[in-house]
Amino acid sequence: MISPKGNKSLRQSFADTMVAVGKRDPHLVVLIGDISHHMLQPFAKACPGRFYNIGICEPAMVNMAAGLAKVGLHPVVHTIAPFIVERSFEQIKLDFGYQELGVNLVTVGSAFDYAALGCTHHCYGDFALLKTIPGADLYYPASPVEFERLFRKVYKNGRINYFRLPEAQHGQRIPANMIEPGKAVVMKRGKDVTLIGLGPHLKTCLEAAVLLHTQGINAEVLYIHTVRPLDVAAIRRSLRKTGNCLVVEEHSKYGGLFDDVLRSTNDITGVRYNGVNIGNQFMHNYGTYGQHCESSGLTANNVAALAAKLIIQKPVWQK
Amino acid sequence: MNRELRWKIAEMISRAGEGHIPSSFSIVDLLDVLYGQFLRVKSTRPDWEGRDYFILSKGHGAAALYVVLEKYGFISERDLNLKSKKEGILGGHPDRTKVPGAEASTGSLGHGVVTAMGIALGLRIQGKKNRVVSIIGDGESNEGTVWEMALVAANLALGNLCVILDRNMSIDQILSMSHAREKWEAFGWRVLETDGHDEKEILRTLKDVQFSLNGQPTMIIAKTIKGKGVGFLEGHGLWHHKIPNNEELTRIKSELTI
Repeated sequence: MISPKGNKSLRQSFADTMVAVGKRDPHLVVLIGDISHHMLQPFAKACPGRFYNIGICEPAMVNMAAGLAKVGLHPVVHTIAPFIVERSFEQIKLDFGYQELGVNLVTVGSAFDYAALGCTHHCYGDFALLKTIPGADLYYPASPVEFERLFRKVYKNGRINYFRLPEAQHGQRIPANMIEPGKAVVMKRGKDVTLIGLGPHLKTCLEAAVLLHTQGINAEVLYIHTVRPLDVAAIRRSLRKTGNCLVVEEHSKYGGLFDDVLRSTNDITGVRYNGVNIGNQFMHNYGTYGQHCESSGLTANNVAALAAKLIIQKPVWQK
Repeated sequence: MNRELRWKIAEMISRAGEGHIPSSFSIVDLLDVLYGQFLRVKSTRPDWEGRDYFILSKGHGAAALYVVLEKYGFISERDLNLKSKKEGILGGHPDRTKVPGAEASTGSLGHGVVTAMGIALGLRIQGKKNRVVSIIGDGESNEGTVWEMALVAANLALGNLCVILDRNMSIDQILSMSHAREKWEAFGWRVLETDGHDEKEILRTLKDVQFSLNGQPTMIIAKTIKGKGVGFLEGHGLWHHKIPNNEELTRIKSELTI
């Protein structure tokens, strides 16, 4: 079970980073749709005139950030993921993508984090949608240091920088100097199967690797915090070695990381693939985040079982 | 009413085989006054930092913007001649990455004016006094984002923003935007009115806008006629996106007494 306890939340890391960056850069401006208002008050105080709680009108909030970008500012737009990605999709596409303007979209409510609130507050097609927009990069940091590091490196690069901030964390300490935009992190070396974990499911994959070890299977674990630009080289390197690949992600089966892995490695002979994701469904049930993970098979036991199956089912000539 | 610009629009659209003539005739006098007598802009340096910002939010009126940008030296006659051609820079809606002087790529309604609001806020954050003007259509005013913008701009007291409503009544046959003055006043805007084809009155009205960094945003309701200047183009029928044939083009020319 993934627990967010014991760490600063990603949302707090976002708030702290805004203060730290905003104090140094007078061009940083934060717009919010009445989410994280109190948490961002230190930024509002430290950077007067650069914090706006716009109201409940997300398309206008996203669109107006294009005007800020046009006059040389670095806008950050923040609210719950579906209201930015889905409700305001055309604004992202036209006002930034088509017009080549930069924005930082920082969302909470990753996938089904708002488990008990129902599907109106879920967002499991965000990567699929945003990948259709040229100029959009996708970041999914699942520890506070990752957000701060990635944000600082890209926030003024003139691109669409989408940050999906999950409630749950993977709990691993990754040295800051190993966190680079667009770079995968090899968390465990192995030779039999590559487990690719996104967000908090790095932890799921590491736990699965322990289970696999008891079966004599040596799993390699790759952690992806940047879905685009994707570290294709690292993935190809690992798959050439292991020949087996399992992608674990809180996303629709369509358009998530699994699709990109298949597309970017399908010329490597003999690799067997599977993905653990939420399929293609509305998660109608309420309950906890952990229960939602279990219902989609996003657990160490399931990941280990599917990884073992990949290896066991492999034709003899491929072993 | 500017006859020469109207003729250029008709000729260009006829040659291109694509364009919205009546919508362009509706706003061309407003644009001519804005670029000729009001906006601080430099055609040789379209991205000059001290410029006033103008966004044509109703992007399908692009032909009017193009002939005015050509008149004031931002683009060339050759550009007009290549409208809607593969090798040209001018299309049915303006693309800011291609057209010098076009501040935003508009076309999907209810976007440009919201960008204009963001510019107004961004300028105020930086203490800059550049003015921001945008033209919206009354059909565009059906879009929800226009009213989100109306709420937010008034709430943020963006007095440096002036929106002009091309009130040609076109939309009233579908989803009426009646009582425009009352609507905008109720949203907290200062509302002025002008005849959208009388250059002197347009300029007088623009000069009445305060463009303060803190204050009410201004709405200018410009009473216009869709297709103004050519009798058979006026109104809200089939000419919205129709291309004149040679005989019709001759009639347009003669009605404009060119």
